[in-house]
Amino acid sequence: MNLRAIRALVAKDFTLFFRNRFFALITLLGLVVYVALYFVMPGSVDGTLDIGLYAPAWSPAPDDIQQKGLDIHVAESEDDLKDGVVAHDYVAGVVLPGDLVEKLASGQNPQIDLYFASDTPEETKEAVASLMRELIYVQTGQPLAVDFSTQVLPGPDMAGQQIPPRDRLRPLFAVLLIVFETYGLATLVTEEIEHRTIQALLVTPVTVKDLFAAKGITGITLAFGQGALFMALVGGLNQQPVIVILALLLAALLVTGIGFLIASLAKDMMSVLAWGVLALVILVIPSMGTMFPGVITEWVKVIPSYYVVDTVDRVASYGSGWPDIWQNLLILLAFDMAFLLIGMVALRRRFQ
Amino acid sequence: MSVRRVAVLLRRELLQGPKSFIFLWSVVLPIVMSLVLSLVFGTLFNDKPRLGIADEDSSRLVSLARESPSIITREYGTVNDIEQAVKTGAVDFGIVLPEDFDRSVTDGQHVEITAYMWGESLAKHRIIAQVTLQDLVRELSGQEAPVSISINTLGDEVSIPWSDRLLPFLVLMAVFVGGMFLPATSLVTEKQKRTLEALTVTPTALREVFLAKGILGFTTSLTMGLIILALNQAFGAQPGLLVLMLALGAVMAAELGLVLGSLAKDMASLFATWKFGGILLFGPALIYLFPEIPQWIGKVFPTYYLVESVVRISQQGGGWSDIAANVFVLVGLDVVLVAIVALAVKKMRSAMA
Repeated sequence: MNLRAIRALVAKDFTLFFRNRFFALITLLGLVVYVALYFVMPGSVDGTLDIGLYAPAWSPAPDDIQQKGLDIHVAESEDDLKDGVVAHDYVAGVVLPGDLVEKLASGQNPQIDLYFASDTPEETKEAVASLMRELIYVQTGQPLAVDFSTQVLPGPDMAGQQIPPRDRLRPLFAVLLIVFETYGLATLVTEEIEHRTIQALLVTPVTVKDLFAAKGITGITLAFGQGALFMALVGGLNQQPVIVILALLLAALLVTGIGFLIASLAKDMMSVLAWGVLALVILVIPSMGTMFPGVITEWVKVIPSYYVVDTVDRVASYGSGWPDIWQNLLILLAFDMAFLLIGMVALRRRFQ
Repeated sequence: MSVRRVAVLLRRELLQGPKSFIFLWSVVLPIVMSLVLSLVFGTLFNDKPRLGIADEDSSRLVSLARESPSIITREYGTVNDIEQAVKTGAVDFGIVLPEDFDRSVTDGQHVEITAYMWGESLAKHRIIAQVTLQDLVRELSGQEAPVSISINTLGDEVSIPWSDRLLPFLVLMAVFVGGMFLPATSLVTEKQKRTLEALTVTPTALREVFLAKGILGFTTSLTMGLIILALNQAFGAQPGLLVLMLALGAVMAAELGLVLGSLAKDMASLFATWKFGGILLFGPALIYLFPEIPQWIGKVFPTYYLVESVVRISQQGGGWSDIAANVFVLVGLDVVLVAIVALAVKKMRSAMA
């Protein structure tokens, strides 16, 4: 291999890449937008149901009804309670009448007033009504004859430590940034084929191997650089940085292989876009699994980007280590080798 | 201007257009986005706990749960299925109803239910799922609540569902992706392949070429706008007015596409311009997505007058008097754009001369 030639080719590719305003702009804006989007999204999870309570003649009530998942705010007066509801300090305001206990004891049916803001969804109103009914059943000594023997799956119980929405999006953003580079690389190669500069290069001392090495280095650097920079900026490298970096590097290898494949199929920039969209859509699917748990099934494991998404998500969000994800990295490496090989063979056939 | 020549050119555009990736993109993208967004915002962004039930018998509790507005109920065939659903987070809370559950509850016997809780479910979802379930079991057993609950509503804010907030975005995408990109890419391709110059050495005038491409953009734009409104069942009570607004929007899209196509040197510059210009077109959609942003900001964007009218008619039951001002603004913008297109034609003609 001619290292000097490879270095010159890589430098030429970078110059060409950033001379193409479309890709240069997308590269820069993409990174900025993704980082901005990450920080705009909620960084914590609001897991509790805030309820305002006005119970003039039932002082121990807050303790009675306080339980995990409920946050009770005691109001000084009914007007205060209503103000709190309108100001969205709590989702519902509950007024327990002064004669509640007496009426319950005498078997009468007292009325509890619930106040909601007008934009509260119907399901929340119904849920708070159910909650109040159940509390009164318990207060009147009518516990339910049904017991729930509950097991937390998959364990451990993450109540109070749920993953914030923006961290759920982190693998998607990283994958998008990396996958977008299939366009960049495929366009670079396609332009060389279209303008026949590849043939011109091959009559110089540059060999086909040098050419692939140069294009590979360009593709990997562009894809990996952006993915790693994004993860560093959004705190994705705080846990097990070596694993995350390795996963991103393998992802960059994968998109380089796919980029070669697209370049071997595409005739011009429009075909690169057409094939690129197909690749992008397929490779992004596994990210849906982290964004919306439970929406995708086991078949998603046939998509190579699953192993990037799963690794990044498990390591960055759940603190998994080598023993949990080594298989992912191995499978990803196998996919990388396969795509690089197929891509290079297809591309070699195209320009030879 | 020869109508016959424009018709011939339009026929050629209609034959060639659908073969291009951009045509496919402009037709498929809005439909796919509409379906995906309705799925994502219709169910996944729904802040309701999801309850999974595996019923070993045929309990009435399942139908009661399905009718409850507080939870989303999903049924599973086996214990294994429900365990898997909880493990993956498909449901927050899963229960396995034993045989003869209804009779045991009605007879007041003690019943133990196997339940699974997703480790990442929110505390409030857990509590809502559980109390709703308890409430339903009491209803099943025929217990009468010892209290009556009165629900009162305060304030006059209206909750806008996500599906409604997204309509402006979908309409803009449907109208502008195809309407703009088809004429723009078609012009750029002709410029790059130099077929435009070849055409203009025939009796065909450049303005006829522009008109034919504009008509294709307009037709695609209007059709896609109508399809998206139909898919989202958003025609409202005044479909005629909606069609008028979409038509004015489609004219704007086609004109912008022609201007863009005449200015861009190649595809790369076209997409780069789109990247910047896109925010001008989609700005009002972003403002609608977040009602907390001052809504007057939307008026700065040219597409606001289309989006506002569509929302007024389809979601708020508005009529002519509500949108008349917007119609005049849109007509004014379309006329200004016609003048800009005419200038672009002139500039291109002199460049080719």
